[in-house]
Amino acid sequence: MADLVLGIETSCDETSAALIDITEGRPSLRSLVILSQDVHRIFGGVVPELASREHVKTLDPVVTRALADAGVTARDISAIAVTAGPGLIGALLVGVMYAKGLALNLGVPMIGVHHHEGHLFAPSFEDPEFGPPFVALLVSGGHTMLLDVPAWGEYRLLGETLDDAAGEAFDKVGTLLGLTYPAGAAVEKLAATGNSERYRFPRPLLKDQFDFSFSGLKTAVLRAVRASTDLERDRADLARGFQDAALDVLVEKTTRAARAMDRRRVAIVGGVACNRTLADRMRARLTDAVVSVASPRLNTDNAAMIAAAGAWHLARGERSDWHLEPFDWRPMPGLVRAAGTTA
Amino acid sequence: MNTLALDTTSDRLSVAARRPAGRVSVREATGARQHAGLLVPLVLEVLAEAGLDPGEVTRLIVADGPGGFTGLRVAAAWIKGFSRDRNVAVRAVSTLLVRTAAARAPGRVVLGVASALRGELYVAGYQFGAAGVSTVLEPMVLASGHRPPLEGPVDAIVGDVADEVVRGWGYSAAVVIGGPQGLPDAARMLELADLAGATVPVEDIGRWEPIYGRPAEAQAKWERIHGRTLPNPASQPG
Repeated sequence: MADLVLGIETSCDETSAALIDITEGRPSLRSLVILSQDVHRIFGGVVPELASREHVKTLDPVVTRALADAGVTARDISAIAVTAGPGLIGALLVGVMYAKGLALNLGVPMIGVHHHEGHLFAPSFEDPEFGPPFVALLVSGGHTMLLDVPAWGEYRLLGETLDDAAGEAFDKVGTLLGLTYPAGAAVEKLAATGNSERYRFPRPLLKDQFDFSFSGLKTAVLRAVRASTDLERDRADLARGFQDAALDVLVEKTTRAARAMDRRRVAIVGGVACNRTLADRMRARLTDAVVSVASPRLNTDNAAMIAAAGAWHLARGERSDWHLEPFDWRPMPGLVRAAGTTA
Repeated sequence: MNTLALDTTSDRLSVAARRPAGRVSVREATGARQHAGLLVPLVLEVLAEAGLDPGEVTRLIVADGPGGFTGLRVAAAWIKGFSRDRNVAVRAVSTLLVRTAAARAPGRVVLGVASALRGELYVAGYQFGAAGVSTVLEPMVLASGHRPPLEGPVDAIVGDVADEVVRGWGYSAAVVIGGPQGLPDAARMLELADLAGATVPVEDIGRWEPIYGRPAEAQAKWERIHGRTLPNPASQPG
């Protein structure tokens, strides 16, 4: 039987478990369960203590469901990969301690996985050709970075956000427009009906090399919202103006990076990769490259990507020991700042 | 039964193991930030010292709170993974009862006390018998300046409580045990394991939650403002 890796992800407000096979060196998805914690909508953002409590209640049932969906039992698991960070420390702790308990119970190896590295593996499940070298745009509610990936385990940071993450900007603008948290999908839907000519917001750092900044854009939208005399009338146009500005920056810098690194493949990963307009515009612009975007379930925080990244490390003989602790922030293993890019 | 006991609810991590009629093996580590990293290494040490493989553990005793939220989750999450699909009996014991075991003697009434932060205390009362224990004051959060609602004599008070607070409660005959002696201790959990009324079975370990003792701060604030319980919209697995 092929190696069966259990992935566990609890870094924020999704409780997720997945089982993947490793066949001929490539990950194959056997099951994926993602439980979104809806309680945070009430607060307009994630409440860490509530997230941790929810993970305690739901992680084992989520693992049970993932095992059932894959048609296997816990005794069939060959190894466990768990998100160790970055993320909410209390939320991560639940996944890490559960993984330690289960690994000791089953007598199988365990590895802690960097959440960002997990996102990079997400397109592997649906695109058999996917793999390095490629340029990755990692965009989520917590992160925005451009990476050159010459090989798995080698990550060259080309640029990153200097303030807000792109997904955070989508959520905050969504809130300004009266949309429910998390607002990324709703902003895209609203923008689709908006007039692109009414609001022309700044494209921050567009002429700079690869770093991003979204706080100024967010403030510009805030000013426009305050200046609006009929927000209900203007909402769609504001959403369109914001999204056009944000996506222009993401597409332009990613295009520039792919050309500078001479890459013929670009991956868009992370929660904002669920924005289909972003993928469409990237493909329209990067006609000389393949643009890989996983389906939404694999772009949101999920355990399948953690299992895939963990399986790659496990195949190299890497293991975490029982002292493994979650971390709120740490650079991805193998990450270096690319020479010639700004800090 | 081959029993493993663990407490992660205070600043001190405490684990203990014992074979039937065997010697008790104990390990401790101080510093709440070390609990996640040291729990398994210390468990392996006590099991090895007790002559047990992890797979030979047949009973788990866990202190289920109230106590530090993060510490509670360290043990809860680990136990869920460790006991999954195995023939292990999991039993929970109140952290406050574990504290009172420091003053356990037949006929004694003992209060267990732990800090609930912001000047408040978790408190519970127990009366020990020769073969069992009964709860005389259910675990509660005691506001600053209030007295535990327990009439009658109290023989001992164990836990995090200042002398001047105890004096204000008026239990003049009570012995006060604080400091390291007043902390929860996994070896005492093993003593309580076979005492009637001390532990309760955890029937559905997968969905089981520790007893936090109080809601999350954001939840408490929301409920104060809205005057009703926080709704928890059903999360849907996908």
